[in-house]
Amino acid sequence: MTFAILCRRAFSDLRQNFCAQFITTMVVSLSILIFAFFTLLYFNLQHCVDRFGAELGLLVFLSEDTPKDRIPSLYQKLTGLSEVEKVTYISSEEAFGRLEKFLKDEKEVLEGVNPQFLPPSFEIRVNRAVFQLKRIKQLAGEIDKWPEVSKVQFGQEWIDRLYVFSGLVRTVVVITGLLLLFTAAFVVTNTIKLTVYARQEEIEIMRLVGATKMFMRGPFLVEAFLQGLLGSSLALGVIFACYRFLQGLEAKSELLRGVNICFIPWQYTVAIIASSVLLCVLGTALAMRRSLRL
Amino acid sequence: MISFESSIIRLKDVSKKYSTDNVVFSGIDLEIEKGEFVFLTGSSGVGKSTMLRIFFCAERPTSGEIWVDGVVLSSLSNAQVPYLRRKIGVIFQDFKLLSNRTIFDNVALSLEVVGLGKKQAEQRVMQVLEGVGLAEKTSHYPLQLSGGEQQRVAIARAVVNRPSIILADEPTGNLDLQRTEEVMMLMEELNARGTTIIFATHDDRLFENTHRRVLRLLNGKIRI
Repeated sequence: MTFAILCRRAFSDLRQNFCAQFITTMVVSLSILIFAFFTLLYFNLQHCVDRFGAELGLLVFLSEDTPKDRIPSLYQKLTGLSEVEKVTYISSEEAFGRLEKFLKDEKEVLEGVNPQFLPPSFEIRVNRAVFQLKRIKQLAGEIDKWPEVSKVQFGQEWIDRLYVFSGLVRTVVVITGLLLLFTAAFVVTNTIKLTVYARQEEIEIMRLVGATKMFMRGPFLVEAFLQGLLGSSLALGVIFACYRFLQGLEAKSELLRGVNICFIPWQYTVAIIASSVLLCVLGTALAMRRSLRL
Repeated sequence: MISFESSIIRLKDVSKKYSTDNVVFSGIDLEIEKGEFVFLTGSSGVGKSTMLRIFFCAERPTSGEIWVDGVVLSSLSNAQVPYLRRKIGVIFQDFKLLSNRTIFDNVALSLEVVGLGKKQAEQRVMQVLEGVGLAEKTSHYPLQLSGGEQQRVAIARAVVNRPSIILADEPTGNLDLQRTEEVMMLMEELNARGTTIIFATHDDRLFENTHRRVLRLLNGKIRI
């Protein structure tokens, strides 16, 4: 049996059993849709944590008596640290200027205040690869020991909260995702089994007229392949439409601006489609194994 | 006495049992000649269908040896069974037609399985459907036909592949007298063309005045 005959028979079967095929494809699609939604949620959470981590930095305040000629060497020392990605020096005047900007119309409260009253500082952006609370704490402790440094600040409380929250959500999403994956696998294979059993008579008649196992199994497998492909593509299409919709909302809403919603990475998208196809094909092969005995 | 060379089906000490209490038949020795028309009879549940099922390998015997068209069934692997079935046409009481396919497609299925070209298959199907008087109903679906017509479709499907053996399992069981006669005539025609026919029936009227061999299954044994 050539591939062309196989496809012709599969499409003819699809036409003849359109209703059952449509229901199976919808079951596949809905199962994948729920799973893909959680995957999207997971990746956006991950994305948020990454972004927050990337934006998180250390603020190193220098002692007031630090001589100005020590600044370049301190800068060098800081940039030489492996955990540090970027260092920016903020002089007392610059800090004062920022404060003025921040206060806007109320900047007159600063009238008569010495522009040198704020200590000079270094803003440090931590390398994204070392975004770990333990290492940031360690780094802050090390810098704090330098004689020129008066204080090192970082959002420890925020990081603690973020870690607990993201860990919790990640666990929930992963467990739910796995449960959904098993549920999807169970529902899809059983729906396919029912479809195969519903066509038991057809298989029996084909067997009667001398059809080989490949002749009987071939169209079913092609149909399963198409069900997996169409079902998962449809589900991912819906998820993509939701993603675009949320992107639109993000652009319009002040609250959501900067959230930077991301889509499921393409490797995972391909993996979801491939798994769906594999699930349908394997489900069909298993369901047919019993029907094809002698 | 039938010579071994001319027999198309041969059974030697064949037994079939599902359990120690459920013995269908045992120690059966039988030879059916090429081109012969035999009736296999016996009351319901005596094992006629089981015997036919064994001939086309839908079941395996518990013991004994069977030759079908020169093939030793015990040496046949599951993968080889479909090739044997292509030499055998099977007809059932309940027709076993695909209700969602047209009459043409139902008959063409046998040729599709063997990979015959589309044009050739079309010609062959039309020829056979003409032979059974259904050339006008090729695009009909089985449920749009009468019982007798459905059985004729089943016969067309069984013979379109030009098998050397036809196994008919109560093919007239669901038909009235007139339709039964039509089916019997078709069978006679097929046999006249050289096809071996094994016709299982519990209806004695079908072979009352026949010169054909009648094999009676009784208490697990065959009596001629």
